[in-house]
This record gives sequence, structure tokens and C-alpha cells, in this order.
Amino acid sequence: MQSVPQRPDPHVKLYRDLLDDAALAESLGFDSIWLSEHHFWFDGYCPADLVAAGAVLGHTSRIGVGTAVMLLPMHPVDKVGAEAAMLSRLGEGRLTLGVALGYREPEFDGFGLRRKDRARLMDALLPRLAETCAAAQPVVPVYVGVASAVAAQRAGRLGLPLFADSTMNHAELREMLAAYEAAREAAGLPPPPVHALQRDVFVTDDPDRDWAMLFPELRYMRRQYGSWSSPQATGETATAYRERLDADIDAKLKNLIFGSAGEVGAKLREFEALGFGLIVCRSQFGNLPRAGLRRAIEGLGRLAG
Amino acid sequence: MKLGAGPLALGSPSDLRALAQAAVEASFDCLWLDGPPAAAAMVAQWVPVRVGAVVDIGIHHPLHIAEDIAVADLTCGGRLEVLLRPAHEDPGVVKEHMQVLAAALSGAHIQWEGLHLRVPARLADNGQVPQRLALNPRPMQPAVPAWVLDAERASFASARRWSAGMSIGRRSHLPELVLCPARVEASELLEAAGEEPAYFVIAADSPAEARAAGRRLAGPLRMPEFPDWARSV
Repeated sequence: MQSVPQRPDPHVKLYRDLLDDAALAESLGFDSIWLSEHHFWFDGYCPADLVAAGAVLGHTSRIGVGTAVMLLPMHPVDKVGAEAAMLSRLGEGRLTLGVALGYREPEFDGFGLRRKDRARLMDALLPRLAETCAAAQPVVPVYVGVASAVAAQRAGRLGLPLFADSTMNHAELREMLAAYEAAREAAGLPPPPVHALQRDVFVTDDPDRDWAMLFPELRYMRRQYGSWSSPQATGETATAYRERLDADIDAKLKNLIFGSAGEVGAKLREFEALGFGLIVCRSQFGNLPRAGLRRAIEGLGRLAG
Repeated sequence: MKLGAGPLALGSPSDLRALAQAAVEASFDCLWLDGPPAAAAMVAQWVPVRVGAVVDIGIHHPLHIAEDIAVADLTCGGRLEVLLRPAHEDPGVVKEHMQVLAAALSGAHIQWEGLHLRVPARLADNGQVPQRLALNPRPMQPAVPAWVLDAERASFASARRWSAGMSIGRRSHLPELVLCPARVEASELLEAAGEEPAYFVIAADSPAEARAAGRRLAGPLRMPEFPDWARSV
């Protein structure tokens, strides 16, 4: 849910759209819908995934709802565990948690935390969350968001399934899975039933039309994430900084899957063959026009169905 | 007078749905849940009336609480109400958390330096952090109706021990929120309220209790000199 400068929307409409999109996804046969989290950003980005998940669970009756991903080190783990268990019970087992470190310094600082402590916090909080979620009725599955082999090892030591970042390529994913397997086997834990992978995916029946719609939003989204992970350096001019961000955009766009339903399906099956049985497709970038987003979701739904 | 039902226990989903539906059909203005904003966000999708959540204050960072309230209010289209329950033994901590929560929900650009909280923290190890921060997104309502549990008075927590000794006081633009037993009579509530506005939350534990309370209370509380003939219909 983002009200971007090039396409501002009232925040209440964005959250209403979320419920409409969830109902649409359910009607098209998707297995689940996923929510992401950031804090203190002007555009309405959701900072409270479990609350939004509660609304989606209440608005739907079959589809699963997941967090992709909740920034666990910023949260009180007892509150997360208790609310996840409550939502799982009331939502009849449809909640899944994906959790990861987070990276944006103003978010950690807002909650009185140091970014540099995030791995230590994750090491302390993740086992407690996993224990609470395993004891919930119904059980709440927990995935660990990863973008590196080190993070995969953390998940492997706990035997928790992976939720791989959308920007990783095939080689990086293979390396990460190997690191995970080594850590899991060393811990003597059984393999999880499934790993998850997030991908930027857009199904189109008119590539020229949709690319013209998509590219400004993708560029905006990548500039935003790039600026969060790599802030403007002291003394760096605005022009130089934008050029640096835009250079990174080209690298990230290489991982975008854009094409017909058949082309997208073939690409997704490659990731399935790698070992990712759950693929979370992000088709909303920035704040796409509703009609365009709906076309993409319906196109993807032809695969899901 | 306003009428709420609750606090509804977050037990089985089917029981909760049945009780919520019965309370709506019995003309209650709000369903109060014995749970956090995430529960209210869910139940708000089932019913067309307002929903209330109970939030502990003083344990978790008030910005997390503010974010929960804002997202719940947005997803339920501005129908959220909250009861703030002091949950820290130090009243100073509770007071400061309340102040930061209120500032955040107001949409202000916050720079708070207190005994217990500093927002933003501006920790030396964090790099580029702003001098101020603001809650985003904000709630849909200009001000989410919020009450503070007063443990020393007959109120939400002690309502099952409520008696005719209850007093109605108006300390803000909101009427006092008072939890009452399911079998309370309209005459008792009217006598207690006198000329003051009041918001009664009826502790109905079953669909049958909710329906009975609605039949008995809704008319008399909403209309002075409710006609006798209507009571017997």
C-alpha cells in the first residue's frame, strides 16, 4: 500500500484496495496473499502486518495470508507470538509468518534500537517466535527471510524454511540453499516441507502497453529501496546519488519476470526445480493503476488456477 | 446514550461470529473485543458497526501501538475505538507512553525526550536518522475514540462487579465508558446517567444474552419516555 508522488491516493483507499485485491486473489484460486512492512514512510507503507493480516483474514474465507516479511528485530516477540496465535485460531490456520532482519536505520532508531544489533536480536528472538508459533493451535508456519548465505545458515540451524529475497539470481539461490542444507544437517534437523521465494512478476498480454505503465513505478520502487539500503553519502551530490541508484536499478530489473502467462509459468517452474515450492509473486510496484494491476493479477491467476 | 457489547472473548471463530452477529442484530453500536487491534481489524470485516480493541500501555513501544491502531482504523474504514489499559507498575512509564501515543496518533512530527522514552532515539551507532519522525499511515478518523481504564472505578475490568453505585462523569469530549452486566435494566442505566451522556458496554456472553439485552435496552436508552406499549411487543 503506497501512495507514491506520481500517483497519490488516500491511504484509506489503499487499505480498501488491499481487501479488494485479497478477495480477487481468493476468487482466482491463489493459495495466499502476502504483506510487507516498513515504518515511518510518508506513502502509507504498512507498518503493522499482523493488523492488516487480521483484516484480510476477516475479509476472506479460504486464502492464506502471510507476512513477506515482518521485520522481527523491531518487534516485541511476545506480542508478535500472541497475536499470531490469536489470528491463526480466528483465521482457522490461514496465517503464515515470514520474518527478516530489516535494514533501514531510521526504522531501528525510531524504536530505540541499533541497526548493528539486528543479527544478535534475530538470533535471540527467532527461536522464541518459532517455539510460540509451533505451539499455536493451529500451528503458524514461520519462514526466515534471507538474502545471503549467512542468513540462510541461521534458518538452517533452526530447521526453519527459507523465504528468499526477490533480488537473488539462480547462482545466489543455489549457494544459499547449499549453506542452508549444511547448517541444517549439522544441527541434525529434518528438511522443511517447502522453501519460499519472492519474485517480481508481471503477466502481460500487451508488453509495450504494460511496460510503459510499469517502468516508472519499478524505477520509483527500486530508487526507494536503494535509498534505504544505501543512503546518500556525505558530500555526494543529488545528481551523482541518483545516478548511483539508477545503476543499481538495471541490475535488479534483470530478475524481473515479465511476459505472457506461458513465459512466466516457465520461468517460475525453474525456481520450483531449484527447490522453492512456494513462490510469492509481487506484481504491485509503487502504486500501479488499478486496471493494470488487476490485469496482471488475473493473468497470474490463470497460472494459479 | 451509546450501547456496546462486550468485551467479546476471542475463543472459537464460530462462537465469536455468532455472538458478533447477534449483537449487531440487537442494535448495538459497537462490538468490544477482549483483544488487540488485529482482532478488531478482523471482526470489523464481519460486521457493519464500530469495533473496540483493548490495548496494554507501558509494555510495548507506543509507536508500535500507534501503528496498530492506525492500520486497524484504516482497514475498518474509521470504525475503531480503543480502551487503553495501563500495564506497567510505574505510573510514570504509563503516562509517558500515553503521551507519545497521543502525539503519534495526532500526526505530529515527533521529537520526544522523556525519562523513559526518546523518539527518535538518534543513537550514535545509527547513521542517517531524522531529527523527528511521524506516524505513517495515520488513522482514518481525525481522533480515534480512546478511553483509559481506571482500575479504581467501576469500569471495563471490574464491570462484572458493577452496582448501582456507578457514577457517570464527563472528563473529555467522549462519554464515560462503563461495562455493565448483561441483565442490567434500562431504568438503572438511565438513573445512573442522569443528564450526562454515557456509553454502556453490556457484557453479553452469548447470542441469546445479546439479543435479550438489545430488546430491553436499545429503545429506552435512545428515546426519553419510551412508550410502555412498545416494551410489551
